[in-house]
Amino acid sequence: MNEIEQTKKEYQAPKTNILGTIGRWLLIICTSIILLIAAIFYFSYRAITNSSASLDVNSDIDVTPTQIESMKQIGEWEFLSIADEEMIDTLRRGFFSDDELIRIYYGNLRLGINMHKAKPHFIQKNKDTLVVTLPPIELLDEDFIDEARTKSFYESGSWDDQTREDMYQRAVAKMKQRCLTSANINSAQQNATRQFFQLMRSMGHENVKIVFE
Amino acid sequence: MEIFYYFCIRMKQSICYISMLLLLLTACRGNNEKTEARVETLDTIPMMVMQIQKCSKLYTAEYHLHKIVTHDDQMKLKGTFLAQEFNITLPFGNRRIAIPMDATLKAYVDFSDFSKKNIRRRGNKIEVVLPDPKVQLTSSKIDHQEIKKQVSILRGNFTDEEMANYEKQGRAAILNDIPKLGIIGMAQESAANTLIPMIMQLGYQEKDITITFRKEFTLDDLPSLLDSKSIAR
Repeated sequence: MNEIEQTKKEYQAPKTNILGTIGRWLLIICTSIILLIAAIFYFSYRAITNSSASLDVNSDIDVTPTQIESMKQIGEWEFLSIADEEMIDTLRRGFFSDDELIRIYYGNLRLGINMHKAKPHFIQKNKDTLVVTLPPIELLDEDFIDEARTKSFYESGSWDDQTREDMYQRAVAKMKQRCLTSANINSAQQNATRQFFQLMRSMGHENVKIVFE
Repeated sequence: MEIFYYFCIRMKQSICYISMLLLLLTACRGNNEKTEARVETLDTIPMMVMQIQKCSKLYTAEYHLHKIVTHDDQMKLKGTFLAQEFNITLPFGNRRIAIPMDATLKAYVDFSDFSKKNIRRRGNKIEVVLPDPKVQLTSSKIDHQEIKKQVSILRGNFTDEEMANYEKQGRAAILNDIPKLGIIGMAQESAANTLIPMIMQLGYQEKDITITFRKEFTLDDLPSLLDSKSIAR
């Protein structure tokens, strides 16, 4: 019996050694494959997250020359400057939805006198008083909107250039209505009186009277 | 079957070790990316601002300028992949636009600080010292009827915002061209032509009137005033 058991043990011993060797190699190979897959996933993820793509459209204008169309001498004396912003919108009603365009226009209205409209002898001496007769206060330039500064506030739908031209004209009318008030004209007139008074006094004339046509 | 059973037992321990290793790798990566919520402030309430300012400016010269703002763009796909940059032109066609614009520049002399110190009298002669004329863009106008556009069928039309952006860039380009136009000289001459008749009415002869322009020097002009030999090193 002991010999049978001894033989049995000897017979079983090689079987145990073979199992350990095969299992060890299987373990190593599987571990290597898993680590390799994990490394591939990791570096692929890093590569993808560090990558970027975007649609790019150049928004710069081309370099073009600026041409002088005309130049002239003027004599406009500004006494009141009014910087104004106006929001102009236009609406087009549609069957399913409405289209709207809203723009903000910027302008600078200048009130003052045009020296070229002054009478030839608008500065006269009346006894010891210097009388300066100035032309009336007026809007010095009808072109007071800086259209290139216009801001597009909201747009839905497509709009043609005539619409923008109409909106510009509405902005002109709106700014005139808001800024050309009697209060502003009076303020410009008072400032003109003060400035010309100081100008004449600095030239050595103490008694000065400023009047408007 | 026994081999498989033996293998599974051995794998149990290995799986534990591998899981710990994977956890260690992912933990060490660290996430330093902070997603910053970009909050853009939108001023949805339009501000209609009217600023009134008293001033005393004598505009002596006016210039009308004309400029055609052009723009040509193609849609491109740009980015990086595997540390390599790429720039691919997409076959969607391009867009072109030409916007004619007119601008008015005016040169003026600022009389706000004018006082007795600007007047020098010597007997019958009088000298008026004025600050150098400055140039200001007073208005600009887009010729909407003459705007030309060419848009590929696969591209979207120019939006109002895009056109406004191009017009703004054109305005900036005009301002940059002002020093090259040489308009200060004419402004000075025109200022003299406006003031001399007025001073003549005060009793002075034309030959006794002198209009002088004084440059307002700034720190940028300092190097031109200093003699290079006198600078201590």
